[in-house]
Parts: sequence; C-alpha cells; structure tokens
Amino acid sequence: MGSPELVALMLADARLPTGGHTQSAGLEPAVRAGLGADGARLADVASYAADRLRTIVRVEAATAVVARRLTLDGELVEQAEAAWAARTPSQALRAASRRQGRAYLRLASRVWPATTEFLKADAEIARPVVVGVVAAVTGLSAEQTARLIGYDDAQTVVAASLKLLPVDPADAAGWLLKLHPDIEELVTAVSRITTLAEIPAYGAPLVDVFAQAHAVERMRLFHA
Amino acid sequence: MPKNNRSFRLGVAGPVGTGKSSLIAMLCRELASELQLGVITNDIYTDEDARLLRSAGVLDPERIRAVETGACPHTAIRDDVTPNLIAVEDLERDFAPLDVVLVESGGDNLTATFSPALVDAQIFVLDVAGGGDVARKGGPGIARADLLVVNKTDLAPYVGVDVPQMVADAEAARGGKPVLALSRTDADSVLRLKEWVLEMTAVVRSGSHTPVDPGPMAPHSHVGDDGELITHTHAHAH
Ligand SMILES: Nc1nc2c(ncn2[C@@H]2O[C@H](COP(=O)(O)OP(=O)(O)OP(=O)(O)O)[C@@H](O)[C@H]2O)c(=O)[nH]1
Ligand SMILES: [Mg+2]
Repeated sequence: MGSPELVALMLADARLPTGGHTQSAGLEPAVRAGLGADGARLADVASYAADRLRTIVRVEAATAVVARRLTLDGELVEQAEAAWAARTPSQALRAASRRQGRAYLRLASRVWPATTEFLKADAEIARPVVVGVVAAVTGLSAEQTARLIGYDDAQTVVAASLKLLPVDPADAAGWLLKLHPDIEELVTAVSRITTLAEIPAYGAPLVDVFAQAHAVERMRLFHA
Repeated sequence: MPKNNRSFRLGVAGPVGTGKSSLIAMLCRELASELQLGVITNDIYTDEDARLLRSAGVLDPERIRAVETGACPHTAIRDDVTPNLIAVEDLERDFAPLDVVLVESGGDNLTATFSPALVDAQIFVLDVAGGGDVARKGGPGIARADLLVVNKTDLAPYVGVDVPQMVADAEAARGGKPVLALSRTDADSVLRLKEWVLEMTAVVRSGSHTPVDPGPMAPHSHVGDDGELITHTHAHAH
C-alpha cells in the first residue's frame, strides 16, 4: 500500500495529473472583481486564502474527513456528497468540484484501484468526497486528510496569483508559509468530526457570487 | 466507458494562428456527411475557437466543447491530459457512436505536441506566413507528427516563400512521413487532406495503428568521431 505520508505528498503535488493547472480556487473572478487592486494590494491574496480556510474549505475538509470515516466503516459515501452539496449553495462551485472529483477519481481508479469499490470510476462526485475515499484506502489519517484539503486550497490560490497578478514567486511562497497556522487551525477544527451532522455549514457568499459570474465568463484562464 | 464507443481521436497542433481552427472547420464541412464528428478546443484565454467553430455552422454546436488550459496549453495536451480526456470521453458518451473527435491544441510554440495518451494521431500545422525556414528548423511536431500541413499556400507570393522548397525541407526533416501543402482556396489540397483523414480513420479502426509520440526532441544529427554523419532521435546530452 505504501507509506501514507508519501501518498499525502503525492496528492498535494500539483504535478499529479488531475487537471490542477485549470483551477484558481476562485481567485480569478475575485481578482476580476478587484481583489489585489491591480497589483497595488497583493497581500489580499493571502487574506483571501485565509478567508477560504475559515469558511468553505472547512466544509470541504470536514466532508473529506467524514467521507474517509464512512468508507472505513463500510457505509455509503454518497451521504457525504449530499451533506456537502446541502452546504454548498453555488451551483457553479458544486459543478466545478464535481468536475475535479471526476479527474481525481479517474486517476485514483488507475493508481489506487480499491477506490472503485466505493465510487464508480467516472462518477461526478465532489472532490473532497473522492479525497476522503482515497484517504481511507491508502491509510491516511483524518488529520492528514484535512491538512491535504487545506494545503491544496491555499496552494491553488497562491499559485494562481502568479498568473493573475504581478507577484514575485518567492513572496507567494512566503504567503503560503504564513498560512500554515490557518491550515493547522482547520485541521484541529475538523479532524475529530465523525458524523454527517457535525459537518459545519460556513459560507462565503461573495465567493459564491464570483463563482456564478465566472461560470459564464467568456475570457478566463481558469475553469474555476 | 465501453470500448466500442471509442472514437478515432485526432489532434491538431501548431503555432498560434497557423489555421488549426480553420482546418477543423474545413474537415467538419468535408466529412460531416460521412462521419460522426466531435470537436474539443483548448482555449488559452477565451472560448473564441469553440465559438468560431460553432458559428461556422459546420457541426451541431453541442458537439463542440471547450477545455480551459489554465494558461498552460502545453500542459493540457501533454503533461496532464486529464481535462481533455474527460471532455473527449463525455463527447463519446453523449453522441455515441462518434467516428472522429478532433482536438485542437491551444496555439503554442514549435515544441508542443500531443501525448499519445490523449490522441491516436496528430496533425501539425505550419503556415507559409511564419516564414519559409520554419520547416527546416524542425521540432518534434514538424519531424514526427503523423501529418505535417504547410498551410495558406495562397499567401506564398506575398510573403516571398517558395512552397515546393518549404515542402522539400519538411520532407527531409520527416524521413518520409507525409507533408501536405494546403490552402482553403485550393480544392485539390482540401481533397487530399480529407482523403488522409479518411485513410487514417480506417487504419485506426482496423486496430493496426500504434500512436506515435513525437516526443520532446526533434531528430538531429552530428558528425561522429570517424567523420560520419550520425542522425538520431533520442534525447541525450552531447
Ligand atoms: N490566406 C489564408 N488564410 C487562412 C487560411 N486558413 C486560415 N486562414 C486565416 O488564418 C487566420 C488564423 O486562422 P485560425 O484557423 O483561427 O488559426 P488557429 O491556428 O486556429 O489560431 P489559434 O487557435 O489562435 O492558434 C484566420 O484569419 C484565417 O482566416 C488559408 O488557407 N489561406
Ligand atoms: Mg484556433
């Protein structure tokens, strides 16, 4: 099965072929709406990532943690997807997450075939649910699962900022480092959750609004 | 995905503006009555190509889908083909059975080629306006794509390019693989393009085709110790 720690590194690596280069974690529409003030307020990027970690990413991380639990207990993981969907009001965000989930699943069904005992290889299932199932079959802990979701989101924001704003890559890496406490806070908040009802329902309405606008935007670099 | 719904996946790559979308529109126009077609475009910043093709009216707009590349057209067709593969598989599922799915790469540089994990064969498109010496400069797509198109030959007199020379240079770089001088104003050349696609479709269908990877490096030659000219295609340091 391999070392869970190495699996976590693989899953956090942007070079893993899951279409990660098409994602900006909502940064592109946020920049379009004025975040970063055309380069005059670059620190907005790190604040944006932190806001996500406190809100919608917590929902995602908790969903992944519960999906992992359900998988280990032999229960239907689709319940976690339903709980996540009920807490994700933007249709555009749900669609983008399911598209990513499909890309993950496509890879996981080849690399960790045990995944397909729980999810169909071409299912359109929210990414955190797929990550939860992969975590269960590869032996990741609940903490590792939550940390992976938190880190991946923050890194997606920071990496996309290099394409969208005049950012020095070393500054971007510095922002990511400064986000570590926010990520660990998220891990502490969600890793002991075991039931669907405990998945929090934090929202970030502006992120939802931006996502809805982005879905019909003609000029865009990123899918979401 | 059941195996029998798999189409012949044909990639169309080449630098910006050489005529990839136009060539795909041309193929749709020529082949739509004979073959069931689908199209995937890889847009770098807009859905311009998908829109252009939809508005050309040569194919049911539903059969033309755009994939975002996150500003990495190269990655999308080579290092991480996941979004493209999903788009192709969805088209194959939604319009089964499709004969051919044409995948247009985002206009990139001379080194961008499709991974054989995404397409069964690929066309690399140059145009005369990019300069007569481009074919000689080579590159993986020029050297090893299944078909090299030298496009817009009607413009040759205006840009001072000798088309037969450019084709000869390309043929020399390709070791016998086909080169097609194309112009939308030259009906014979359009017919030859159509025939090549039909033949390739038949070959791929027969199961006797193994996708060729143009790879990251063009064949190159250097003079060996004994003064002999050595030509090879593998990547290594000299
Ligand atoms: N003269 C002439 N122009 C052509 C021909 N084929 C295409 N063009 C023109 O070349 C321009 C670029 O064509 P496209 O088909 O959009 O090129 P492309 O390679 O898809 O471009 P990108 O997707 O932006 O990289 C357009 O203005 C076409 O009308 C041709 O055979 N002759
Ligand atoms: Mg085009």
